[in-house]
Amino acid sequence: MKSPGRYAIPLLLCFAVTAPAAAQEFKINWGGTIYTKWLWGNARNAGSLYNFTTVPGEGYGDNGQGNEIEILLSGKLSKKLELRARVHSRFSQNFWTNFGGFGGRNPAGSGGDCISGDCGEFDPRSNQYVKLRGATLIFTPGYSWLDSASLGANDWGQFDPFVIGRIRYIDRDNGAGLLLQGSAADRRVTWDAARISLPRLWAGPNFSTGSFTASDAAYGAQFKVAPSPVFDFGGIGEYVNDMEVDATDRNIDNGRHVRTRFRNTVVGAKAAAHVGTKLDIRGAYYYSSHDSAPDLNAPASFGLAGFSPVIAGQHNDNSWKANVDLNDPFGVGLSFNIEGFFIGAEYTSMMAARRESDVLLTEGHDSAFAFPGPSNAAFGVFGGNPTRIGYGGWDGNAVQVATINVDNEFTDFDEPMAETAIGWKGVTFVPVFSKGAFDLSGEYTYLTYDTNWQAWGDPSRGIEDTDFAAHEGDTGVGHNFRSAYAPFQDKKTHIALVKGKYVLEVGKGVDIFGKVKYIKDEDSRMNDPRFLPYQAGDCPGGGVECTGNRNFYSSGHSTADIYGNPPVITVNGVTGYQWKPFDNLADDDRDLKYWMFNVGAGYQLTEDLYGSFTYQYFNADLFDGNTAMQGYRLHEMASGKHKKNQLIARFRYTLAGLSECGLEYQYNFGTFEPDFGGGFVTQFASNDVSKNVNVPVGSPGFAGRFGGWNSLLKREFDQQRLKAFVKVQF
Amino acid sequence: MRSPIRFVVLAAFAAALAGGWASAQEVSFKDPTGDDNGPGKYTYPTDTVYKPGSFDLTDLKVKESGGKVNFDVSVNSALEDPWGMKVGFAVQMIFIFIDTDGKEGSGNTKGLPGLNIAFAPKDAWDRVVVLSPQPPGRVKSEVEIKASAMKAAIIVPGRTRGSGRTISASVDKKDLGEGDISTWGYQVVVQSNEGFPASTDLLTRKVNEFEGQHRFGGGNDGDCDPHVMDVLAGDAKGDKSEIDAQHQMLAYECNPDGTSKKMATLTMVHKK
Repeated sequence: MKSPGRYAIPLLLCFAVTAPAAAQEFKINWGGTIYTKWLWGNARNAGSLYNFTTVPGEGYGDNGQGNEIEILLSGKLSKKLELRARVHSRFSQNFWTNFGGFGGRNPAGSGGDCISGDCGEFDPRSNQYVKLRGATLIFTPGYSWLDSASLGANDWGQFDPFVIGRIRYIDRDNGAGLLLQGSAADRRVTWDAARISLPRLWAGPNFSTGSFTASDAAYGAQFKVAPSPVFDFGGIGEYVNDMEVDATDRNIDNGRHVRTRFRNTVVGAKAAAHVGTKLDIRGAYYYSSHDSAPDLNAPASFGLAGFSPVIAGQHNDNSWKANVDLNDPFGVGLSFNIEGFFIGAEYTSMMAARRESDVLLTEGHDSAFAFPGPSNAAFGVFGGNPTRIGYGGWDGNAVQVATINVDNEFTDFDEPMAETAIGWKGVTFVPVFSKGAFDLSGEYTYLTYDTNWQAWGDPSRGIEDTDFAAHEGDTGVGHNFRSAYAPFQDKKTHIALVKGKYVLEVGKGVDIFGKVKYIKDEDSRMNDPRFLPYQAGDCPGGGVECTGNRNFYSSGHSTADIYGNPPVITVNGVTGYQWKPFDNLADDDRDLKYWMFNVGAGYQLTEDLYGSFTYQYFNADLFDGNTAMQGYRLHEMASGKHKKNQLIARFRYTLAGLSECGLEYQYNFGTFEPDFGGGFVTQFASNDVSKNVNVPVGSPGFAGRFGGWNSLLKREFDQQRLKAFVKVQF
Repeated sequence: MRSPIRFVVLAAFAAALAGGWASAQEVSFKDPTGDDNGPGKYTYPTDTVYKPGSFDLTDLKVKESGGKVNFDVSVNSALEDPWGMKVGFAVQMIFIFIDTDGKEGSGNTKGLPGLNIAFAPKDAWDRVVVLSPQPPGRVKSEVEIKASAMKAAIIVPGRTRGSGRTISASVDKKDLGEGDISTWGYQVVVQSNEGFPASTDLLTRKVNEFEGQHRFGGGNDGDCDPHVMDVLAGDAKGDKSEIDAQHQMLAYECNPDGTSKKMATLTMVHKK
């Protein structure tokens, strides 16, 4: 359809600004930042100047030094037109050791991915290139119905993290589109409308928007009404349209038809009441609907470990949350925050915030345990999958986002980690006490899950045929930052913590702080014997082969597809099963008792230098399935005792003209004592196993269904890392 | 057994109580809600981090105790830390101007860079305490560059923190000057923490004619308008009439080129 209406707004804006622009003086303002980073760590990775990424073909590392520069320009051409633009060179693989980017593998990409700066001058990630990161024109035409229009780069922080969130990929101005904003009734009513060009890098099934990408868009609109300071309400809507050219349209003389590969509709309503200065009540409700077309390269379904930012097929769901804040009701410095929430298992908003917002009150999980394996490795039972973020994980606790499209890419360990809260439902209670130099707060959260189901919630389908993309799965001490789904779940979680801070009046004042956190996580996972993979007595033991009589939970479907019987093996004269047969509902149970302790002190050492030291201790006693479950066949088993220690030194230095300068050093050490239960014959690592998964030759373990190796050795971790940076704004 | 330690402890406790009683002085002021609109028409930036009430001043409490003066400034919204400042708040920036001597013409009648305000000669300020979520070193370095002529009068607390709805800090009494804190004049200016300020602004956020994602609206694109969202006014008891008093105090006029014709001129409030 060719609508003349689509040109109306740009034309109006052109007329609005052309005449006055010529008559008035304007000034361009220049500014920018030079940012220098220094990474060091004994993991000895040097893929890039970022600690972490999972993006295929990109490097990650804990060593190297580099600079980046950004140049910002802005100016008002007239009262009605403003411009902003930013060019930036990124760290990526621009190590100082590249010596200016010269040389390198030519052509780039020949002989493998360009990482560690190997492609030098021939790859933009290592040749110090400066790129346009974003340009924006802002029109303020003076119309009664339109306050402003922005054309170009925008991070979309004006909307709502459940629907259209603040978005970035590498830069805050990666996103671009058209934003119209207006108001009425003396600004008691405001509205925003946007057309956001859909990010082809991730904003569709399979982290893709297909082949025909240039016209894909998300359309969003919201309004807010504040009739008085006591009460306000609003509404929001979003429609995402990922289009493809219709390959069946063979008459191109009249243009070409398009089809929708992926669509997503979200609507929401919010209201808030502010009763005096003591009480705030807020509520929000969202409803989502989405659908995708498998014949246009959207996944029709996933197996046990699907990767996609949205679930497959057609789904509708809702989310809501309600908050009550009692601000110092007794006048003694004690406040209370209460939040009830529900984020549906199938709730989907393609443009929801991926890391930039924290949608829940709870602290959630700790970022020190970000991935399934004891070392924070994913798929660590197979060779070539070492930890990327390191044993220490990220700093602090996670922020929660309402999407499985979580983005922790291109981050360093000192940045916050985001985790998905899809499927979470529960309540959080947070008391906060503050008096003088003393701050004390706590939290209790009870969590259960909308994803508590059997056979992905649809026993009519095969266990490796699901709409739900499970990413790294739900095994390990933590919750794995983007894993919301598991084939079997019957889980509840308690989170409780107390943390405090006190300023000791010694010298310039010593900041003393500490925290205790406890997480109790129980998950029966498979809770109905009809889902057991084989018929009772299928594996009689005593060195006798299993008979292989499958148990079908529905017509033609059996969990034997993922929980296959073990072969009988003989090792050093001991004969038995290679792993325990999955013949008991308790074989996949999860039971976590997790403690975290933190204590530290900080001091203003000189006028310019602040330093702090922190000691953190994590103690996780975890049963996370035995060798029958074996981490869904894919991940290192984490059943056992985890003891992790972190010694952290942080320094912050400020001089006139130096906008930021800091250093964080961590010494992370600890142990993992595996406890995988019994019912199997211990094997011993061959030379190949030793090379693949870095265990001593002859050390005990067992090989799983796909041949992945789980070691029975006690693991001892001893890792150090450092990040120092200097940022100067000009 | 009558341990001498018992008497020492009791004596110390009694002395502490007596000392506390003798030295603890307190003064507090209130501001009505719904007046976080500067001279009357200012609007918040459009980004969602700027929650309604974030810049709506409700209370100032000043308390002297043990050689320290504590400042508690409350706003009409729960404090949040969306930018990871790690001090319990992020978007607010508070300036507490103090007239310690009450003498006309003594002190500064110019405001700080970026605020675009002046003070009446009878209410010239002698000290200003800056409550910023930025590290103290950053604030001090900005003061050094942008307000060096006034730096002796600008007090940056070693620690500023937010909890609930209240931003608090403590400074040495000797840094503020002599006198009874209950006789001093006070003015609180509520602004927003801008990590990327203009070269002439002391970590303050601009007010333009139209609001933007990170700019206040309802003012002027030049620097003739007060870049101030809320202040104490009238008797500072929280009466609704103080809204009009604030609007009158922050009234301004601009020349066509955006320079100031009549600058917003603030007065102090005193304990009554």
